[in-house]
Amino acid sequence: MKRKWLAIVLAGFLANCPQSSQAAPLDPSIAADDWQAYKDRFLDRGGRIIDDANGNISHSEGQGYGLLLSVLADSQPDFELIWAFTRTELLLRDDGLVAWKWSPGARPHVTDINNATDGDILIAYALGLAGQRWNRADYLRAGAGIARAILKHVVVEHAGQTLLLPGASGFAAGERKDGPVINPSYWIFEAFPVLEQLAPSPEWQKLRSDGLALMKSLRFGPRQLPADWVSMASPAVPAAGFPAEFGYNALRIPLYLVRGGVSDRELMAQFQRGMADPAGGTAIVDLLSGTAKERLNDPGYRIVNHILACVMNRSKLPADVKEFTPTLYYPSTLHLLGLSYVAARQPECL
Amino acid sequence: MKPSFIALSAAIIAAIGLVAISRYDDMARAVRSVSFITGKDQASPLLEKTASAGDIVSADQVIDTVTTAATGPAVDESALRYFASHGDTARLETEISRLRALYPDWTPPKDPLAVPQNSDTGLETMWQLYAQARYAELRKAIAERQIAEPAWTPPSDLIDRLAVAEGRVRLINASDLKQYETVVRISAETPSLLTCSEADVLWRLAEAFFRTGKAQRATDAYAYILNNCESAAERLATVQKAAGLLAPEKVEDLLTKERTAQDGTKEFGAIRDDLARGYLARAEADEKITVPASYLARVERLAEAGGLASDALLLGWYHLPRGDGAAAEKWFRRARDKEDTAEASQGLALALLDREAPLEAEEVMYRWRDASPDAKSVYLAATAGLLARDPPVSIAPQVLKRIAAETIEARDGATAQQFGWYARALNQPQTALQWFKTALGWKPDDEPSAYGQAVTYLQLEDVKALSQIQSLWAGRSERIARLGEPEGETAKGATDRLLLSEQAAPAKKEARLPVRSVSDTGERPQRSDIAPRPQARSQARTVRGCSATVNPQTLAPEVALARGWCLMDMNRPLEAAAAFEVGLLGASSKAREDAAYGQSLAYLRAGLGSKAAVAAIKAPQNRRRATELQKAILADKAVAAFDAGRPRETLLVLDRLKQMGPERADLLSLRGYAYLKLKRYGDARRIFEALADIGDRDGQRGLAIIHQIFREKN
Repeated sequence: MKRKWLAIVLAGFLANCPQSSQAAPLDPSIAADDWQAYKDRFLDRGGRIIDDANGNISHSEGQGYGLLLSVLADSQPDFELIWAFTRTELLLRDDGLVAWKWSPGARPHVTDINNATDGDILIAYALGLAGQRWNRADYLRAGAGIARAILKHVVVEHAGQTLLLPGASGFAAGERKDGPVINPSYWIFEAFPVLEQLAPSPEWQKLRSDGLALMKSLRFGPRQLPADWVSMASPAVPAAGFPAEFGYNALRIPLYLVRGGVSDRELMAQFQRGMADPAGGTAIVDLLSGTAKERLNDPGYRIVNHILACVMNRSKLPADVKEFTPTLYYPSTLHLLGLSYVAARQPECL
Repeated sequence: MKPSFIALSAAIIAAIGLVAISRYDDMARAVRSVSFITGKDQASPLLEKTASAGDIVSADQVIDTVTTAATGPAVDESALRYFASHGDTARLETEISRLRALYPDWTPPKDPLAVPQNSDTGLETMWQLYAQARYAELRKAIAERQIAEPAWTPPSDLIDRLAVAEGRVRLINASDLKQYETVVRISAETPSLLTCSEADVLWRLAEAFFRTGKAQRATDAYAYILNNCESAAERLATVQKAAGLLAPEKVEDLLTKERTAQDGTKEFGAIRDDLARGYLARAEADEKITVPASYLARVERLAEAGGLASDALLLGWYHLPRGDGAAAEKWFRRARDKEDTAEASQGLALALLDREAPLEAEEVMYRWRDASPDAKSVYLAATAGLLARDPPVSIAPQVLKRIAAETIEARDGATAQQFGWYARALNQPQTALQWFKTALGWKPDDEPSAYGQAVTYLQLEDVKALSQIQSLWAGRSERIARLGEPEGETAKGATDRLLLSEQAAPAKKEARLPVRSVSDTGERPQRSDIAPRPQARSQARTVRGCSATVNPQTLAPEVALARGWCLMDMNRPLEAAAAFEVGLLGASSKAREDAAYGQSLAYLRAGLGSKAAVAAIKAPQNRRRATELQKAILADKAVAAFDAGRPRETLLVLDRLKQMGPERADLLSLRGYAYLKLKRYGDARRIFEALADIGDRDGQRGLAIIHQIFREKN
């Protein structure tokens, strides 16, 4: 009975799923050693990804990244481990979205029941990929449930644009004076086609096209870069209550663009110019002055600039960026995502 | 839930005879360990898999489904082997009865402990992960083995149990986070969780039903336990939990499922006492609730027979706001005879004020005037009421002296003003002027005091001083402006009445006249203002912003809400509580939450913790506030339990509180004293030493007591 149902679901799923060129590569694109090094450092035995720069908490974003990396490393046991933790400890909200914050020292462990939409997207996306790769109807079912909840609770229309709210509560037009407030780095372009397969809706395509338009138009200050948090009340400005900066959130946007198959050279050039730091690294940029607030030398951040150089000028990645050595959770995650992209799509830059 | 906690733990302790339970965790474990599973229960889920979310179907129906589904001949004994080889007899027996229920034809091994160990070491490791509740790792281990041995399939027993165990974790997580729809959803997906061996899960499901607006299903879930489950402690706890949520008539229905032991004792006998107390406590917070006579009679019997001051107090607080001052007085006196406490004295003083006996009220409260801000305001209400008596009563000089001292210390404008009128009544206009001036010094906007001053100047024919006051109050008080106007309507009327009152009160003629003229034109506060009713003990005090005496029932909810906060700022918690009560009718949920929050704080400040607990559930609170309130309510409860001579309860509540964050020093010392009462000297010493180390005086005092005890012993 179970098996038959699984077959039906899979047949339907695959029929709706002409191999999209935008979907992430299906071949394992993370080296086993790199994945092992990452796991040793950031994956705890019980299945949670530890954000070691933030008091060793875990969050839906980290779990989503862990699931995605497991797929890219072709490790179903690790996927199963991370997913089991995510499901029992975070997938608890009444609305089907994922609670975002889990603290090891607190009881109950979930210390903020709100969701973080990028976490939801990453988890649903990874479930879609994993269900497809390992023929698991339960992954597809769970992914579809989250994708539907995203559509229902955080995808909104505003001034003719389809937007992603960063969370189910606290960001909408009715909830903040300057609402809706968005986080442009929550547009994970590579995920939308997979989410569309999980929960068919025209909204996903609109999210992609309106998202691309947003990335082109959100240019603030001398460096013409987007802010981490943007108020979409007309006109769009860096949102009040957050630093007006191109920060740790926004710096992953170009990575998401290239991984999502966006080939708009003008847009890439815009980021390449804005992010270029005379000193050579990646920078957190104060948007008002255009000056670097902080220089980031971790190869996990620098890889973003080098991928842009690779895509634009066929430049090769420097040796220390080509190598993966875990540092901290966030840059190390971006590092593996970047390396997996270059290995699958731009091997000549290695 | 909260109010039933103590009673519940007490019930469990009583039922299972565990006296040394000192931590909530231990209690939870005890709850689990006393549950025992019958074959029938273990395999009789409450929800059927195919039922729509949250449909409760009959147990028999479900048993049918389960047995039909489980007619396969292969009995998986790997779990049995694992538990046997580890000597885990509790789990072993559970497993045997589970397998028996699933496979009626199966014969369990004669000596289960001699069952050979699993030869499959990989599977053995998996069962070990299962037994250690490391479910995610077990998932990983299964996936790894399936990759290494593509032909291998995990035993369905393992997979089923794993799914149920994960469902249980998720359900409890969701319930802790108040994600009640998720709780109901998981229950529907994992029907085999819903058995007598999982009473905690059933309770959580019942609460989730209730919180998602399905009170009937909640009732059904509680009824399921009472119909099917055997554990005495859990049956008691079920009724307690139901009583914390459901309407009394639903609880009555559940109580009909009570069992009678062979010796004739009723299993819920003890609980009925607590239920009756609980209803009374709830009714205390809401005047509209009428407690059924049988419960009232039960508590009355308890108060008379058992002699707990707390029972008598409950009755007093129940009767007072319902206009039965005589009954209230009787019970407060009873409570006070048992144990003279601030609360009993406050109740008695209010009942006395109610029947216009302020002299005794002052006497009763004097000793307790500094016990709490509220005690102080009751005392001052009594003093203001006493001085405002009309005709004035004779007050012993030493009483007058101490009232004056308290008035000055508390800078109480209301009593000062009444001193002014009292002095006028005794024909001491100069003294009256002093008091009115004093009152105005504390409350410059106190128009009645200004008026009293003006009237006194008029009496003394001090035209200059009178006109000074008149110019000061120009535009703010018409009656002050019109004083001394010979043709004025008011003055004329006053003169008329002045003559009348002369005849009516021939004694102390001179003194009475001006007082009469004033009181008859309504300038003096009305009786009802002076002798405050319990819900407005201190209305006699008037302060800027919410100074005027207003019946909150006449206000719009938003206005009442603002007034509530204003009164809180003025430290008039009981009036604030009444204003918040009206605020609860507000249109927005934010406003209602605010009002419920305010009311809880007001009751807490008034030292009425049980009312606060009830107020807190009148509107859903946001998390931070809910925690804050819960902590305050529990702290209050701990103190109340200790005061009532129930140190064990105190410890249980403190443990609960401790789980919510670090223990405050004052509560830590309470813990020390609770240990002391239980003669747990080692524990007490540990606490007091820790406190003394940080220079805490309670700690030093506690240590001194312990030294004393040991010296006497030796």
